[in-house]
Amino acid sequence: MFYEMDILLYKVALIIYLLSSAGYISSLLVRRVLVARVSTWFLAAAFTIHTISILFRIVERGPSPAISFPENLSFFAWVMTATYLALQLKTKTRVLGTLVSPVVFLLMICASIRLGGNIVLPPVLQGWLVPLHVGLSLTGEALFALASCAGVMYLIQDNLIKSKQVKGFSRLLPPLMDLDKINHLCLLWGFPLLTTGILVGSIWARTAWGSLWQWDPKQVWTLLAWLFYAVLLHQRVALGWKGHKPALLSIVAFIFLLFSFVIVGLFFTTAHSFI
Amino acid sequence: MLCVNNTHPLKEMMKIPQIKEALYLSTCNRVEALASTVDAEDTVERLKRFIFHHGNLSVEEMERCLYVYFDHEAVRHFFRVASSIDSLVMGEPQILGQVKDAYRDAVENKTTGVLLNKVTHHAFRVAKRVRTETAIASNAVSVSFAAVELAKKIFGTLKERTILLIGAGEMSDLAARHLITHGVDRIMIANRSYDKALAMAKDFRGSAVEFDRLGEILQDVDIVISSTGAPGFVINAQMVAAALHRRKNHLLFLIDIAVPRDIDPAAGMIDNVYLYNIDNLQEIVDENLKSREKEAEKAEAIIDDEVLRYKHWFRSLEVVPTIVSLREKAEGILKGELDKSLGWMQNLSPEQRKNVEILTSSILNKVLHDPIVAMKEESQNGGVLPYIAALRRLFKLDDG
Repeated sequence: MFYEMDILLYKVALIIYLLSSAGYISSLLVRRVLVARVSTWFLAAAFTIHTISILFRIVERGPSPAISFPENLSFFAWVMTATYLALQLKTKTRVLGTLVSPVVFLLMICASIRLGGNIVLPPVLQGWLVPLHVGLSLTGEALFALASCAGVMYLIQDNLIKSKQVKGFSRLLPPLMDLDKINHLCLLWGFPLLTTGILVGSIWARTAWGSLWQWDPKQVWTLLAWLFYAVLLHQRVALGWKGHKPALLSIVAFIFLLFSFVIVGLFFTTAHSFI
Repeated sequence: MLCVNNTHPLKEMMKIPQIKEALYLSTCNRVEALASTVDAEDTVERLKRFIFHHGNLSVEEMERCLYVYFDHEAVRHFFRVASSIDSLVMGEPQILGQVKDAYRDAVENKTTGVLLNKVTHHAFRVAKRVRTETAIASNAVSVSFAAVELAKKIFGTLKERTILLIGAGEMSDLAARHLITHGVDRIMIANRSYDKALAMAKDFRGSAVEFDRLGEILQDVDIVISSTGAPGFVINAQMVAAALHRRKNHLLFLIDIAVPRDIDPAAGMIDNVYLYNIDNLQEIVDENLKSREKEAEKAEAIIDDEVLRYKHWFRSLEVVPTIVSLREKAEGILKGELDKSLGWMQNLSPEQRKNVEILTSSILNKVLHDPIVAMKEESQNGGVLPYIAALRRLFKLDDG
């Protein structure tokens, strides 16, 4: 009797994500933080329903390895929202939602196109290594997405303060230090998660493909992005980079990652495509 | 300018026999005397004399500064004063506190009554509405507050930040004090004269540093306020770049209040360094003042609305409408109770039922008779307001 309940809840969550995004964007237009505050509640509500929808999916269809592209996107959006909401409690970065919420909404829309239906897993993908690989990697990547959102907003605010345009728009944006803190925390947590995710993936690859490394386009691009992040994190932690430069680099690094996530997946022939 | 004097103004005002209630507000640039009176024209003349008597300007000059408002225009004016629309610096927050003090003073001296209590509380509400619904008080309109706002925009919270104050000056002093009240907890002071730095450090409860160690100190501070009389730069770009490297790129906010400049403008081009000079800050202040004027239009609309509400309340304070609504309320209760008793009254004959209705309504009339007669008598004597207010309150006549 609960059949399709997950899809229904997913659609409800999607609509509330849309409302939250609209609210955040209009908070910039009317220049009132109060509107953003209400939007945060909408985002929290959408997140809760999204969570329940995922739980329903697990109950109905069994533990999912999040292997299909739509499921990936949905999970990605879920992690991003969770992290943003958690950080929101700690910092004065309410207006950051103006970037996060629409991104999450777009991910959800893309995911909804092909959501639902049972996927028959090829035997090679069964076992616990694959879901672990996907879960860790996606969580790491979602944190990087959040880091780049904070980076974008940092660059805008930095530019406004430097050019002495501090009256209108800048008033709404979060303080620089808070954005930098979010950028830092997301990189700090995202990196070990993605690293572990990649390692788990290559352990699986050894059993499934017979080797740890295959020069597959997806692997190459992800490795490049990973190296980029490794350098960035090193500069931040060891050399004490702060503010402008790491914000810029975290955006560039994320573009690499996005390339491996979307473009390679869609347009390249890759051994990393399964369904 | 009228300022503090020894006699008690409220007592003086109450000596005017026509005045029933009085409130006296005096700040550095305004004196307001509010009174409720039974004879407006005569009272105004006497109040003028009272004000002129206490001022230290000639009568002609006083006349020029004086304004007189009656009835709801007076209420509108009072709302504008409390909401800081009428202030020299529109939106400044102190005036509401001063109105509150004046009101407390009046209450302690028992010079307020139904009218002024209502008007003053209403004014507090209006001020709050204006504050929350418009942005009239939200932007800094002084250089030192503009500096605090910028610091918050950069650092978020100012707790655990350190300021370095270079040189001395009224504006830099004020900016430092504002930053301290907003959470900055460490301050260092540098001055060409080390003794002066020591004295200032004592005043600010900070620490003094030698002037030639500035470059080194930049490593440990987050906000620098500089206002020396030096002809050249006190801080150059190399000093800032080197310090930034040593402080691992922690953000640095430089405020240059000096003319000629103390800090090399090139320092502002360095990543993570934000340099504002006095002209930049002044521009922010000017723009904010302009936007306050725009917000003031919204505030005036709120005040119009509230004056209308006040008028509505004031009209209800007349005797006849009060008596009418008292009757309506009583008759409503009577009808309701009779309807509830319909069940058992079925058993009565029509005549008996009629008798019950007559009995209840005559009890009602007897109970209401004396208060209504008393109200009419008081309205002849001019002292009816407190009775009306009490009646409306006791019988809840204002809740629909």
